Amino acid sequence: MPLTARGRLILGSLPGVVPSTTTDGIGCVIVRHERLCIGCGRCVQVCPSAALAESSRFDPLQLYEAPAGTTRGALAVALRRIARHEPAGSFEVPSRVRTFRTIEFDKARCLGCGACTRACPTGALTARPVELCEAGGPAVPADGGSPVRR
Amino acid sequence: MPSASPVAEASGEAAVPAAQVASAGPVAEDAARTIIGFFCRECAYAAADATGNSRIPLPATVRSVLVPCTGRVGPLHVLAALAEGADGVFVAGCLEGQCHHREGNLSALDRIAFVQRLLESVGVEPERVQMFTMSAADSPRFVAATRAMHATISGLPRLPRR
Repeated sequence: MPLTARGRLILGSLPGVVPSTTTDGIGCVIVRHERLCIGCGRCVQVCPSAALAESSRFDPLQLYEAPAGTTRGALAVALRRIARHEPAGSFEVPSRVRTFRTIEFDKARCLGCGACTRACPTGALTARPVELCEAGGPAVPADGGSPVRR
Repeated sequence: MPSASPVAEASGEAAVPAAQVASAGPVAEDAARTIIGFFCRECAYAAADATGNSRIPLPATVRSVLVPCTGRVGPLHVLAALAEGADGVFVAGCLEGQCHHREGNLSALDRIAFVQRLLESVGVEPERVQMFTMSAADSPRFVAATRAMHATISGLPRLPRR
């Protein structure tokens, strides 16, 4: 995929890096914890290479996995009480509903700059050193990540 | 409080004065179902008030909640109402393009559509949640919307609650 101007700038400034079309492994590895995501879209706004995007669909299962004490968690509690069966797949979201959208992450476009991890209000995105992931360390923490309060 | 007219009682409806439309009102004995209505202050609530003032009978199942704008009503308000005992929820706001807070009613329309799809995905009838738009002077439309909602909910089975 073509890099953004900023992406090329970052690549050029790194010593010993051969510019390539994909930049996997440069900077840090971004790990997403889907259950902590509240769909605010701040990561989408700050991503310099458009690796993160808001999709037009939403999967209700995301609500069921949300931690208690959050709006999504409260929605899941209410939905579970009246549900006749488990959610049957994702559906198209109306245009004005912004926060109930699945955030899609394209790993091939990611520069590993970590801007999304700083923008995320809930700690749903974490940056991990490349070496740790390459050494076979756990990509996702055993507990699936914990909510961060700022 | 004046008692309901015999005609209204026979058809299972109670004449609701303005003050009662505004508050929850006493629960009628035959009101087996509960419908929560979120009314915007600028249009739908004014229409409800006008309905009460002209003593037009309304279904006793409807309980009203005043909101400054329908844009304030989110999916959690609707789902929590259903989970806590309501059989149906409807939102009534200004006509499209005439929202007093620019586009709150358009947001509400999309949110209600979202909740309908959410309910559909878990096997609950989407028509339990509806949105109506009306002007402040359109009392007949408010009455029609309320009665339509009452008729819809009366024809649906009870919600399973755990």
